[in-house]
Amino acid sequence: MSSLSHPQPHVTPASLVGVAAPPLPLATRLRIVIRLFAIQASWNYEVLMGSGIGFCVEPALRLLPGGQGGEAYRAALARQSQYFNAHPYLAAIAVGALARAELEGQPPARIERFRTALCGPLGSVGDRLVWVGLLPTASWFALVLFGLGVGAPGCVLAFLLLFNVAHVALRLWGLERGWRAGLGVAQSLAHPLLREGPTRLARLGTFLSGVAVPLVIARLVGDSLAASAIAVAVALGGAGVLVYLHGRVEGWRIALVVAVAALAFLLVRHA
Amino acid sequence: MPLDLHRIDDRLIHGQVVVGWGQPLELRVIVLVDDEVAGSEWEQDLYRMGVPPDMTVVFCTVADAVAQHATFVADARHAMLLTGDIDTMARLCAELPAIRRVNLGGIHHKPGRHQRLRYVFLADDEEQALRALAGRGVEITAQDLPSARPVPLAELLAGATSA
Repeated sequence: MSSLSHPQPHVTPASLVGVAAPPLPLATRLRIVIRLFAIQASWNYEVLMGSGIGFCVEPALRLLPGGQGGEAYRAALARQSQYFNAHPYLAAIAVGALARAELEGQPPARIERFRTALCGPLGSVGDRLVWVGLLPTASWFALVLFGLGVGAPGCVLAFLLLFNVAHVALRLWGLERGWRAGLGVAQSLAHPLLREGPTRLARLGTFLSGVAVPLVIARLVGDSLAASAIAVAVALGGAGVLVYLHGRVEGWRIALVVAVAALAFLLVRHA
Repeated sequence: MPLDLHRIDDRLIHGQVVVGWGQPLELRVIVLVDDEVAGSEWEQDLYRMGVPPDMTVVFCTVADAVAQHATFVADARHAMLLTGDIDTMARLCAELPAIRRVNLGGIHHKPGRHQRLRYVFLADDEEQALRALAGRGVEITAQDLPSARPVPLAELLAGATSA
């Protein structure tokens, strides 16, 4: 945060996007896109994703007056490598917007405040869109395929394809939106994909879970009455245990125990 | 009291605030006190994007917050007051003796600051400002999330430092 003793004049979004930015050459764009996949590679508790943002913006900073290694380049790279936190996929919006702000020559204090203000919305929208929306929905989709009789490798492949195509597209879209909007990126965050997307994906995921669970159980235990009764009893018992453990044990520990139990069951079954 | 928490967090509105504290405290209002953000529409647009539709953000200067503090306290909705730095909170506390507790939620690395906790880095003058605040009877604890243990200021400042 910059000091409160230097209040800035009121700035409207229109004045922030009116400055013409230099075109971003294709080679620079490609370098940034490739680096976006390593945005969390240097994650640490001091600057969190900050050095990753600096790494991704760096190819664009070479276009600053003085070029690579020049005074403007060094100052901008230091600024962009400070503390930053957001969702790793939606951080592409920040990378595009920050690259544009730097190449437009926006005042450093304004860029720093912009970086701070971007973390919250990109983090919370990204968490809801990807971790609560896309990831479970893609998983349930693969389970529906399994329930319909597709082989295990096919289901895994379908999940990987769906999830990876979606997040790569999200990164490319984010970089483009951020670069186009610069400091006026708040309007981009009001895009229907980011406003409506999380709720719709969560609904779709819930629907797919309702389709997948009976299909998967039917495929795993067969359709005899006794097997179905055992499956229902196990489900009810499991639900009771989950309700009891809620707030007592962290979620990842429960998930680990369930995963180990499932593996043990499969090993015993195929032994 | 509906104004449940007075928090210092240099990230201002983010997931820990909206979800981590927002859900257990059933927060409906965030009072964001920052003289610069209060005068910057584009920053306000960005911060509003970070909250769910049922949560309201009120942007205030320090002077506004002092004037309206009693109104926030009287409001039936649960609220959190948030500042981005220690200086702003200290100015509020100086004017508002009603603030008895302050939460350090996140003050991150910057040149000149030393690490005190995973999420608290303090410069020497910031430590003095916190000591002065505690000296006036304000209870200061560091706690990033409700599930974490609140760390009292004395323990925080006595901890090992690393540059």
